[in-house]
Amino acid sequence: MRYAHRAESNYEYSNSTKESSDECYAAESMIPGVNTHPMTQIEPETSNLKKMSIITTTGLTKVYNADQVPVHALRGVDLTIDKGEFTSIVGPSGSGKTTLLNIIGGLDEPTEGKALIDNTDLTTLSDRKLINFRLHHIGFVFQAYNLIPVLTALENVSFIMQMQGRSSRECREKSIDLLKEVGLEDKINKRPSELSGGQQQRVAVARALASKPAFVLADEPTANLDSVSTAELLDMMLELNEREEMTFVFSTHDQRVIDRARRVVTLVDGKIDTDEKR
Amino acid sequence: MFVNILKLGWKNVWRNPARSGVVIIAVLLGTWAGIFSAGFFNGMLQDYLHKQIELSIGHMQVEHPQFGDLYNPKYSVSNSNEIVSYLEAQPYTREISAKSIATGLAQSPHSSFGVTINGIDVEADTSLAIEQYITEGEMIDTTSRNPILIGIELAERLDLELRSRMVLSFQDVTGEITGGAFRVAGIFDSFIDQFDESTVFVLQSDLNRLLGNMDAIHNIRVDMDDLATAEMHAEEIEQAFPGVLVKTWRDIAPDLRYTFDMMDLTLYIVMIIIIIGLVFSIINTMLMAVLERTRELGMLRAIGMNKSRTFSMVMIETVFLTMVGAPGGLLLSWLCITYFGNVGIDLSAFAQGLNQYGIGTVVYPSLTWSYYLNIMLMIALAALLSALYPAWRTLKLKPVQAIRKFN
Repeated sequence: MRYAHRAESNYEYSNSTKESSDECYAAESMIPGVNTHPMTQIEPETSNLKKMSIITTTGLTKVYNADQVPVHALRGVDLTIDKGEFTSIVGPSGSGKTTLLNIIGGLDEPTEGKALIDNTDLTTLSDRKLINFRLHHIGFVFQAYNLIPVLTALENVSFIMQMQGRSSRECREKSIDLLKEVGLEDKINKRPSELSGGQQQRVAVARALASKPAFVLADEPTANLDSVSTAELLDMMLELNEREEMTFVFSTHDQRVIDRARRVVTLVDGKIDTDEKR
Repeated sequence: MFVNILKLGWKNVWRNPARSGVVIIAVLLGTWAGIFSAGFFNGMLQDYLHKQIELSIGHMQVEHPQFGDLYNPKYSVSNSNEIVSYLEAQPYTREISAKSIATGLAQSPHSSFGVTINGIDVEADTSLAIEQYITEGEMIDTTSRNPILIGIELAERLDLELRSRMVLSFQDVTGEITGGAFRVAGIFDSFIDQFDESTVFVLQSDLNRLLGNMDAIHNIRVDMDDLATAEMHAEEIEQAFPGVLVKTWRDIAPDLRYTFDMMDLTLYIVMIIIIIGLVFSIINTMLMAVLERTRELGMLRAIGMNKSRTFSMVMIETVFLTMVGAPGGLLLSWLCITYFGNVGIDLSAFAQGLNQYGIGTVVYPSLTWSYYLNIMLMIALAALLSALYPAWRTLKLKPVQAIRKFN
């Protein structure tokens, strides 16, 4: 079986040091200048990559049992997100946004249906493989930044690459590149407490990108930011989206984010109500 | 990655300096208190043991097999000179003291009391331990007539003073009651009340004349450099002289042997109790640290940190938290034990109570290196055990619940 590749980014990552414990990560790109992504089936031409599905959910259903009363958080969600999309998932509270993000982030299991990420059905992975999958395929950005407070910006970004088993030198170099990318080259040795909310969220984005993920999942990333920081963060992410074809999936209530999203999926009562591409 | 987890664990310890500081100080003080009190009691017991051995029993005693507990004076060691010569030639021998012994009644015009009468050869025994405990008068010698050395407790009981006359009555070698009048030449205070009350020293020539056997030697006491080899050498002597019984200090004073054997156990029990207290304190602190970082740990699990790494991180953090304070406590206790081991701790305010138990009024704390090493290992083990529960809690974390809708 051959494995797919993704277009090389200007912060190209080597897969050579990815953890070998999981057989899924054994593959290396045989195509010069093209970066591999494990577990993704090969596509013939890079021109088709924009159309390549990163996320595919089929009949996704999630039922919680709260006090013996079943609560239907998702009711058969069919959703496909292609590589390079900048998608907002919106909807009122209780509509199932978070549940959907949890499932496509490999943090929760559906009651029924499938969630294919990079052509891997998450529901078939063991707990250990799922953790490994998240480490290598999914970048997370959290509403409250969730940086490790005792580590500097550089160390926060490096940490995820260290978990992937990359060399210290590579981790440092790539982290500096990423922090430059998000405009924080002068803050690399600052701890989160020394950074503004917007800066912390930029570090969080750099961290999410550090694992060289298939896509970045962000839950209300601007909820704690002021309008200036929100605009700056969105500019940065849109630039990354355009330049690197990095796929972003947000859940948000923030109209400023919704306005700038290229695709807006609206959930109502656990179902997709509208799916607007702009 | 392990090095990075080590670094992160160390940084996490200092995340809340006040809380970690309290635990570190608690571990430091607990370790110090446990070890220093162990050193104190060890010094006290060692003093008691050594004084008992030094004053009354020595390390080995050679006797006639039938002399036994009844102290019948007719059973003397027949070849005592030969045995003494043999023992003097042995490299392990430090001191030899050959005594004649009788048990009898000490009487004064006011009262009487049962005593053990030791007949000592002051010219042959140049280093009699009792001499250093004489508080009034002087050591008995051959220039006086029938001198006697008595303990301060007996002096009080019989209302005797220096140069007072007293009478000793006892059985001679033929079984007849005999006795003689003695004059108090000196009074000793060994700080062991029972010894001071029931032991007297007279000249061997005086006692043997009254016993009716001028050559009587009932007990040859041997002091050695190494207490632990007493059993081995006792067997050698018995093989060399089949007609004698050689008893070690352990045979003579089983209570001392028991005390000696129990001492280590007691010291460890004290330390274990302290460590258990510390373990709960550490578990409590680490649980707080883990619970307040639920979201962060959930985030780490979400972004791909596996269970073994989160488990290791908390384990390492707990071990660091414990092992920062423990060496400080060990160092502090070593300094205190070394200092007070030289200058002593004066407990003269409690002299009366201590002397009843045969303990001196100045305690010199002491502890062996093996105890320090064992305590360090016990604390390290306790640190690992303390870490298990908080670390296990991290395994139970569900990332999705921990970070609650990613946040």
